Amino acid sequence: MSTRGRKRILSLFGLVLLAGALLAAPAPAAPKRVMPLPNAPMRVMSLNVCTDQLAMALAAPGQLVSVSFLAREPSLSMLHEEAKEYLANRGLAEEVFLQKPDLVVTGTYSLHNTSALLKRLGFAVEEFSFVQTLDTIPGEIRRMGSLLGRQDRAEEIATRFAAELADIKRRQCDRRPSAIAYDQNGVALGRGTLADSVLEAAGFRNLAADLGVVGMTPFPLEQIVVQRPDVIITGKPAGAPTLGAQVPRHPAIAALPGTRIGAFVPEGSWSCGAPSVIEAVRALARLRAEIAPCPAPDHNSSERDAGEKPLRAFPHPALGAPR
Amino acid sequence: MRPALLNTGLAVLALGLFVLSLLVGPADLRFDESILGLFAAAQYHGEGAGIIMREIRLPRALLGLGIGISLGLSGAVLQGFLRNPLAEPGIIGVSATAALGAVAVFYSGLAGSSLYALPAGALIGALTAVLILLAIAARQGSTLTLILAGVALSSLAGALTSLVLNLSPNPFAAYEIIFWLLGSLKDRSMEHVALALPLMALGWLLIALSARAIDALSLGEEAAASLGIHMGRARFLIVAGVALSVGAATAVAGTIGFIGLVVPHLIRPLTDRLPSSLLLPAALGGAALLLAADSAARLVLPAGELNVGVLTALIGAPFFLWLVMRVRREML
Repeated sequence: MSTRGRKRILSLFGLVLLAGALLAAPAPAAPKRVMPLPNAPMRVMSLNVCTDQLAMALAAPGQLVSVSFLAREPSLSMLHEEAKEYLANRGLAEEVFLQKPDLVVTGTYSLHNTSALLKRLGFAVEEFSFVQTLDTIPGEIRRMGSLLGRQDRAEEIATRFAAELADIKRRQCDRRPSAIAYDQNGVALGRGTLADSVLEAAGFRNLAADLGVVGMTPFPLEQIVVQRPDVIITGKPAGAPTLGAQVPRHPAIAALPGTRIGAFVPEGSWSCGAPSVIEAVRALARLRAEIAPCPAPDHNSSERDAGEKPLRAFPHPALGAPR
Repeated sequence: MRPALLNTGLAVLALGLFVLSLLVGPADLRFDESILGLFAAAQYHGEGAGIIMREIRLPRALLGLGIGISLGLSGAVLQGFLRNPLAEPGIIGVSATAALGAVAVFYSGLAGSSLYALPAGALIGALTAVLILLAIAARQGSTLTLILAGVALSSLAGALTSLVLNLSPNPFAAYEIIFWLLGSLKDRSMEHVALALPLMALGWLLIALSARAIDALSLGEEAAASLGIHMGRARFLIVAGVALSVGAATAVAGTIGFIGLVVPHLIRPLTDRLPSSLLLPAALGGAALLLAADSAARLVLPAGELNVGVLTALIGAPFFLWLVMRVRREML
């Protein structure tokens, strides 16, 4: 067949599709095709596990066509069940090209080359920062909301998030047990990380940040034994085995008396700056209240409690309630 | 040099480096704290120094000692048995294939996340590699054929190791490629010692039993047979001994190269050049070199920590190059 002939057939085919769409338009919308707002993208594709979380929480039914394959990973994604309803992508430019989305959302960090390529090919690409804290989350929710044309829903979620966070923060006092988020291969989460802001909000001192660790950095096992945090938060070993998952289960950590070791936060809840982080804050605040209860509110005079507590000075829960 | 003097000297060196390995670490323990932590009675248990010394540094030093012995000894016996100055478990692909075996069994999750999967897989891998190499050596006696076959085996095993780790459904598995290709003794525990040391010790015993055979073999196979050496038995002892010691070492520490190459060559001039009198000094020297490299790995990058295989390759690879040039000159 000649190229011209094929072109003609293709355009005919396009006309048929268009006609079908016009005919279908007046009919009541199918359950999977709810229009967001006028001018809002109709086919959105997310390439990053963190933008996946925001997009899944906010998108109108049918608006989101694909999320990253990591969104199905329970240890990284709290919405892993929902993620199975979407096409999984591996963040490849070719996958995007096949799907022809009118908006691509992704992280600034992980797929930099892909983003640059997609922009050059004329796709609308919106990037979200990899570095997030609790304070940036409501803004990220609103930004994703306006990109998807779902401002009202975003406003609702963001407001609820901020209110609940403020409520939890209000209930903290100066009794701040030490904690460290210690995971795969002995990497600790220091200052500037989402986990750091979650620990702070839940009323803990982040041991790694106190010792000057910034970002995700390997933290020597020996230092943990020396510092003896009250709480060590590790991930649940997920699915297929790895050697790195065994580091937080090292016998040296298990031998520490009075240190609590466990997952403590719901699986996948704090790997991304998404609405689900509030679950992690809530769980850790409960844990904090259990091991170091705050005095009754009317006695909560900051003058008396505000004595600075040097590292290691905090009594272990095994030894009874702190001063 | 008199063998007794040489062995005593190397034993003292290895012991000194063993103690150094116990004293190096990110926690600033004073010398007396370290010793007290290591030897103090049970009521001291639960104290920081006690936990650090017994649960972190002692297993690491023990593994450094045992793996160093295994690699030095295997290098010496392979060089003697194959009559090939370039033979070494790393270069001829035994370590890489052992790592592939360990990776294939462990990351597939066949054995849950049980650590026993590691030595099981590594022994199968190491055994396979030794058998393949012996078959090649039997067919084609040339020094370079064996080394080239080993290089091919190494590359293939390394590529397959990376492939298996990339195929793991756990996204964190791929980060462990560097551990398997470059080895490390970081954050090991007594579990790993219990897992690897008995197997390595059995391997040392088998290699030691082959001492008379490799001496006779230096006169050629026919001469050895006429001296009453049972070739089949000698071959079994060496194959099983190398597979056990290198397999168990790789299962807990990944691929650590070049120790079995460098140490026998450094020590051979100090011996009477009989392959059997090289075995014990090469074992002690291997331990000393690995303990030194592992202590250095902790000092160079205190927090992040260097993979010890990087350091042994930095020492070993230029040495290997020099050796290749020398062997070529001698052959011309």
